Amino acid sequence: MHEPSQIIMQIDNLYLAFGGVEALSGVSLEVRKGEILGVIGPNGAGKTSFLNCVNGFYRPYKGKIYFEGSHITDLPPYKIASLGISRTFQHIELYTGLNTLDNLMAARHSLMKSGALAGMLYFGKSHQEEIRHRQAVEDIINLLELEPIRKKVVGALPYGQRKKVDLARALAMKPKLLLLDEPMAGMNVEEKEDMARYVIDVHELQRIPIVLVEHDMGVVMDIADRVIVLDFGKKIAEGTPAEIKTNPEVIKAYLGSALAQA
Amino acid sequence: MAMLVENTLSKLLRRNCQRYGSKKVAMRVKDRGIWQRYTWEQCYQKVQHLSLGLISLGLEAGDKVAILGETKPESYWAEFAAQAARGTAIGIFADCTPPEVEYFVTHSECKFVFAHDQEQVDKLLSISSRLPLVKKVIYWDAKGLWFYTDPLLMSFDQVLDLGRKYEALHPGHFEQTIEDSRSDDIAVFLYTSGTTGLPKAAMISHQSIITWGNEMKQLHPIDDSDEFMSFLSLAWIGEQSFGISNMLLSGMTTNFPEKPETVQENIREIGPSILFYSPKLWENINRTIQAKMIDAHPLKRFFYHIFLPVNYKIADIRLANEKPNFVWKALHLVGYTMVVRPLLDKLGLLGKKVVYTGGIAISPDIMHFFYALGLNIVNVYGISETGLIATHWMNDFKSETCGPPSPQVQLRISKEGEILVRSQGLFSGYYKNAEATQQSMKGGWYHTGDFGNINEVGHLVVMDRMADVKELARGNKFSPQYSETRLRFSPYIKDVLVVGGEDKTYVSAIVNIDIENVGRWAEIRHIAYTTIADLSQKQEVTQLIRKDIERLNKSLPDWARIKKFVNLHKDFDADEAELTRTRKLRRSFVEERYSDIIVALYSNDTEIMVESPIVYRDGRRGVMKRSIQIAPVD
Repeated sequence: MHEPSQIIMQIDNLYLAFGGVEALSGVSLEVRKGEILGVIGPNGAGKTSFLNCVNGFYRPYKGKIYFEGSHITDLPPYKIASLGISRTFQHIELYTGLNTLDNLMAARHSLMKSGALAGMLYFGKSHQEEIRHRQAVEDIINLLELEPIRKKVVGALPYGQRKKVDLARALAMKPKLLLLDEPMAGMNVEEKEDMARYVIDVHELQRIPIVLVEHDMGVVMDIADRVIVLDFGKKIAEGTPAEIKTNPEVIKAYLGSALAQA
Repeated sequence: MAMLVENTLSKLLRRNCQRYGSKKVAMRVKDRGIWQRYTWEQCYQKVQHLSLGLISLGLEAGDKVAILGETKPESYWAEFAAQAARGTAIGIFADCTPPEVEYFVTHSECKFVFAHDQEQVDKLLSISSRLPLVKKVIYWDAKGLWFYTDPLLMSFDQVLDLGRKYEALHPGHFEQTIEDSRSDDIAVFLYTSGTTGLPKAAMISHQSIITWGNEMKQLHPIDDSDEFMSFLSLAWIGEQSFGISNMLLSGMTTNFPEKPETVQENIREIGPSILFYSPKLWENINRTIQAKMIDAHPLKRFFYHIFLPVNYKIADIRLANEKPNFVWKALHLVGYTMVVRPLLDKLGLLGKKVVYTGGIAISPDIMHFFYALGLNIVNVYGISETGLIATHWMNDFKSETCGPPSPQVQLRISKEGEILVRSQGLFSGYYKNAEATQQSMKGGWYHTGDFGNINEVGHLVVMDRMADVKELARGNKFSPQYSETRLRFSPYIKDVLVVGGEDKTYVSAIVNIDIENVGRWAEIRHIAYTTIADLSQKQEVTQLIRKDIERLNKSLPDWARIKKFVNLHKDFDADEAELTRTRKLRRSFVEERYSDIIVALYSNDTEIMVESPIVYRDGRRGVMKRSIQIAPVD
């Protein structure tokens, strides 16, 4: 067991159901400071449901989520976001009518202090605040190499680029914990490699713990420090990538039982 | 020409610092979305500390320093710093592969390598065991390198710090090395592009490089009010003369784009008064205009087609040194306001004093087209070994030529038609290759290896490389490049190899279609396709390309006409060594590689099966097989 000070998020015995379908049944895990935690599992294993519980979209009917020691299970999503948990979405959620820059600036809304009136007048403190936020956003643009699309409307961008903007948006919120929901889904090999590179860069530079939910085993095995495997809403394995690769339960979940025995 | 007191680039830098100090901007670079500025004084200080930093790390006079990466203020400072310490700078193209980098760095015996970012550092670290002479690899973009611990690495700022410390201990040392610098010190190595054999390093002295810039400055009005956009590699003569030499001589402001992908956007923001595009870029812009016009609103298209001929007419009148009459003037004004001005604005070409092209032959049609749009497009013919040879002077434009020989160049055409040059800007020989130097300098003239002539008005016409002028079986001579540059005027043809020879009775061509423009063309006509391999073999596309070839054939003598062609199933690619890094076709390599196709072009077959090996990114290999159509031309 790790020291409590090493743990940023603790999840105890989480249960979530949609009518009779049990999406999560008794999932417990912890996210440690500074790690990339991979969460993998076959289709319908409950990976996205799990993320949706963490950031408050879904309400688990049993179980507790603690973030930095405080209980957050019953908080609404916007409060959870302002605590410093930020996420990307499997199906990109951006303002498609705004350009990249505006999307990122909008993401910093929860960090801005000036009121609406001061913002409109754009004078004194609110002016300085805007510049400060713009600097932070530009650092992210630089990190993720978004310069060529800074002023492009997001709705017109190709899919891989929008995924990048989605990651940038999550980063712009200055998160203490970053949840990535299938950041590589629907990408070709080259785009996947680039995205993996960016995730590593973000992690190295900002030392933020990352929970990476991903369908693609290869990517997760390459970049995660620790991996958790879900299957039918249950945690079936936990360990280093090397341990997970040889775990018979995991092989069974992915390939079926006949092969696992062979 | 009045001799300059400042006979080295370093002394010119010092002069500009004294002349403009903190009052004038020397460089601008877009970073974090903002154009950051550096005054001449700031540049001088950076160079000073960088240079002293290198000296404290062991750089001595005559040592070589390589610069690997995109062209940025840091690459300029690195070059200036090496030169201020009486060393030699060597630019390397950012997209070179590790083996290519290894060749340049080991061949030139570099002691230091400046590397832009993680990508370039990774290349160097992967070959570092084979670079025993390299003392430090110095990077300026630290992204992703935060946890690299290789002792070979050092950041730009660390070197600047070393320089500051060194200066405190040895005040006046920097000024003294600049004072000691001599005009015959070697300022840069320019590697030949290696169209034939391994690249050779042409040694360029300060005197030569200053001569190049000085001549341009005298022929074209460039001064310190000018803005230049720099985005070509320091490995290329174009950047060394237009960027480095011009900047120091004229005191103009040099701008650097944010990313290679944002060049067009940044050019529009800055509105530079001088622009140097390679012929490929001009061809690209021309193709874009033509293709976008096909897509444009019918009304816009209508006006474009009405007023373009007006512009051509005006251009012709101006070329004949006559004045257009009132009607033409009025029409031109309307056309300019409605079509040309917005078009130039979109392309970031508005308000240009002079725009250049050079490097390889450009199609006269393209020159003419941009001239008709009202741009003072100037062709520059120069090579690493000689510097500037010929260029159009202002208001002396001929689309077919490279302009008259530059005033201080002596030029001769040999019996075989080869262009021979003597000049003050001549190189100081090839590094470690006296034999090649001697061969190219027979009789005191530099043998360019280019085939050309001087026309009736004294303009130089460069036809082709000597080695590439070909003879057909019946003894008729033709120039493949002549046909190629003209075919590339078509929006649908990205590149083309024209084939012929003593064992062949006619000329044929391998065409690389422009996937974007042909794709758009196909979409409008509801022709479904998947990849370039598929699209290139469509009957309709063959017919489209055939029309372009027939148009060219009309302007050629019977024997030089292209009788058969194929549309290649892929792009010519620099990574597969089919193009050089400056995107010239590696002719003999390509001919060798596609020898099967060439054989088929001279048989009675109507199609040929080709196999192309594919290397996937994870190292797996595969073979793609497909059939290519051989198309005859009437």
